[in-house]
Amino acid sequence: MTFVDLLFLGFSEAITPANLAFCLLGALLGTLIGVLPGIGPTATIAVLLPITFFLPPLAGIIMLSGIYYGAQYGGSTTAVLVNLPGEASAVVTTLDGYQMARQGRAGAALAVAALGSFFAGTVATFAIAVAGPTLSSFALSFGPAEYVSLMVFGLLAATILASGPVLKAIGMILIGLLLGMVGTDQATGAERLTFGAIELFDGIDFIVIAIGIFGFSEIIANLERTGSEGVKLAPLSRLWPTREDFHNSWAAVLRGTGIGTLLGLLPGGGATLASFSAYSLEKRVSKHPEKFGTGVVEGVAAPEAANNAAAQSSFIPLLTLGIPSNNMMAMMLSAFMIHGITPGPTVLTNQPEIFWGLVASMWIGNLLLVVINLPMIGLWVKLLTVPYRLLYPAILLFCCIGVYSMNNRIFDVILAAGFGLLGYAFRKAKCEPGPLLLGFVLGPLLESNLRRTLLITQGDPSIFVERPISLVMLIATVILLALMILPSFRRTREEAFQEEEA
Amino acid sequence: MARLQDTAKGDGPDLLSAGLFIGFGALGLWMSRGLDFGTLAQMGPGFLPRVVCLLLIAVGLAVGLPALKRPAQAIEAIRLRPLLVITIAVVGFAFAATHAGFVLASLWLVIAGSLADPGGKWRHVLSLAAGLTLFGALVFVYGLGVQVPLWPF
Repeated sequence: MTFVDLLFLGFSEAITPANLAFCLLGALLGTLIGVLPGIGPTATIAVLLPITFFLPPLAGIIMLSGIYYGAQYGGSTTAVLVNLPGEASAVVTTLDGYQMARQGRAGAALAVAALGSFFAGTVATFAIAVAGPTLSSFALSFGPAEYVSLMVFGLLAATILASGPVLKAIGMILIGLLLGMVGTDQATGAERLTFGAIELFDGIDFIVIAIGIFGFSEIIANLERTGSEGVKLAPLSRLWPTREDFHNSWAAVLRGTGIGTLLGLLPGGGATLASFSAYSLEKRVSKHPEKFGTGVVEGVAAPEAANNAAAQSSFIPLLTLGIPSNNMMAMMLSAFMIHGITPGPTVLTNQPEIFWGLVASMWIGNLLLVVINLPMIGLWVKLLTVPYRLLYPAILLFCCIGVYSMNNRIFDVILAAGFGLLGYAFRKAKCEPGPLLLGFVLGPLLESNLRRTLLITQGDPSIFVERPISLVMLIATVILLALMILPSFRRTREEAFQEEEA
Repeated sequence: MARLQDTAKGDGPDLLSAGLFIGFGALGLWMSRGLDFGTLAQMGPGFLPRVVCLLLIAVGLAVGLPALKRPAQAIEAIRLRPLLVITIAVVGFAFAATHAGFVLASLWLVIAGSLADPGGKWRHVLSLAAGLTLFGALVFVYGLGVQVPLWPF
């Protein structure tokens, strides 16, 4: 089949009433939680994962991805109107977006953000469609040795590109790997690390960990940190940007899209990193960098385009190689797994309707999101005034039902509550929990591929440096590690993330 | 004042992370003590757990030892109320769901969970509990067919 045929197949899948409805539902939910500060896409997807079990595979995945990129649209609304980032990826949008709102240009900021995001989403969707088949045919030549090296590289690179201290992130990955080993050993059938509990013989469910660490502990942390009152809004004015706004922002949107698409591909990359990088790039190339932070439209356009592009291009490694690059993609991986589909090169050849249907739905979803966000902005703004007090009991209930419904047993709910406590401890220890999820989903894959490799070579590890692709990955890993030890690189990295904390 | 702070040492959050890492590593090592290590060609079930645990302890030491020497930084204050209330509400829900049915469990979860935030009004909490329970019963139990009894009898 040619490219056009495949794209046509995708659209015919995505446009069925049911899939269209789930795409809309995902986009709506994504906007909703993007607008509401205190609920992130990670927690939402964790809560909804068990529900997708009841849906056809494509519909469930379309909905979950809609939530992810929808949240990037919604996050900007809160950032501009109340100076609170609805999502982590919208933190930089507050800098110039809120200033624009204070000058009475809130409408223009929101419109630029939405249109920029739509453009970025379109480009990133196209990138997936082009890169998918190419990369996955390349990945078909991967043996177990290549996968081991790729995963080691992916895990380490993820710790370096994610914010926070690298050592702690490595520690979190290791804890994730360890948790992934709980249960019956795939190869030998031995019980491992189960405390003798029968409920753990099948291992810990991804959803239990995700809901515990991202659902419960996030609720606890939110209740601790802020009061649960609603927020005050900047007034919303005329929606359409001026000609000058368009003139100033189109180049920024282009640059943001480019940088976002590229950074989304990298392990550990994703929406947040992309928006920060796009903002600092924009500041660097600008003729008037001193004006940033006072309400320049480029400061909104670039990060918003970038976070949306990255949210979508981060699907590429998952869909083509089967390796999730950040914790959102780890969630997506388990959404596929619930239906017995292992994402990777074989999906493209055996179930092309899943890949192309998802790609097509992303473009449709972006279109829906512009409609949802621009004319209906007033509705979302009203939602902002709902106090957290009324929201968190609902989230709590959905979390509990979600965990319970997987195996219909109370053990999982109690285990999730335990992970909630653990997640709380991680928060107090300032450990970012994302890498743990990554380690947890990659752990079993890493172990089985490592075993297979060494079984084939009868215990000779030199295969990892003899296979060229594997060697390249390992060299890249060593270079990354060496860079981390070099003090000058560490300083630049810390500077890069400083804006995030400021 | 600055004098006083200089004498105290130890980066609280980092020490806590080190403790968590080393704790997990040690626990994992202890639990995998009976598992066969195997050889590189025939990895036993205990191979990777032990390697990972040893790495974890090493990372814990690498995070913890420098943190001992850094100037003191306290861990953010822990507020027990949300922590305890949410945990107890969830555990209570788990037991109630199988023994007392979804309706009572859900009412318990929302009402008990609301106590985590002291500002709420009872009228709001009760109507929220009733609304969410109805929604949950319709969507999850009837709609999606989650296997849970609705009533205790």
